[in-house]
Amino acid sequence: MARKSRKSVHQAGELNLTAMIDVAFQLLSFFVITLKPVDVLANLDVSRPEPGKKASSKAPTSVISIKIYPNGAYTFNDRVMNRETLMETLKQIGDTDKNATVVIVCTADSKHAKLCEVLDLCGNAGLGNISLLSSY
Amino acid sequence: MQDSMNSQIQLAVAPHGKPIEKKDPREIKLDVDAQGNIYIARTKVGPNLLSSIVKKAAAEYGQDTPIVIRGDANAKHSSIETAMNACTEAGVYKIKFAVLKEKGR
Repeated sequence: MARKSRKSVHQAGELNLTAMIDVAFQLLSFFVITLKPVDVLANLDVSRPEPGKKASSKAPTSVISIKIYPNGAYTFNDRVMNRETLMETLKQIGDTDKNATVVIVCTADSKHAKLCEVLDLCGNAGLGNISLLSSY
Repeated sequence: MQDSMNSQIQLAVAPHGKPIEKKDPREIKLDVDAQGNIYIARTKVGPNLLSSIVKKAAAEYGQDTPIVIRGDANAKHSSIETAMNACTEAGVYKIKFAVLKEKGR
């Protein structure tokens, strides 16, 4: 009697991916929905002269005056300007004379955002010599 | 403790501002809301109390103690000036305005 040889057949176990994909999608959608971008904070320096320090004897450099009005408008040396022209002008001044003094005059009712905007533009132009004045 | 800012304060946006790299532990944060109220560590303070707090800090930690004014974008300059005047009275000269460099969506 011939003996039948028995071949052992190993069947690979099937992995049910449906449940895994389902969980993965649930996790993905949870993170996408709950993700909240963080606000990046920055500081604008308005350092004042150190008390007790003598004023430098250097020759005075050019002085620029920027006035901020309550309606949000500003003037550059008494000329009304919009944000773009002010940015261009400050950049030109920054390129020629980094030590130029910028006097920012704020009216009492002017918005703080406008002051921050002007300080930001001065910083962008490389002008660090800034004085802040309040007018009524 | 002082880091928690009044959630009603909407900071002004300044994309070219210097990002905060290292914090001075002496730093005092003054919050100014749109109505002109001034807060230290979420506690509302009047001009006199503010002045005495800044003076005490200056006496204790030095006049180079940094003051960060976190003013609302819609706050009037006069209320920011009140906070700055308190610093001037105390002889504190390192003043910074906190702004948003990049606004999260």
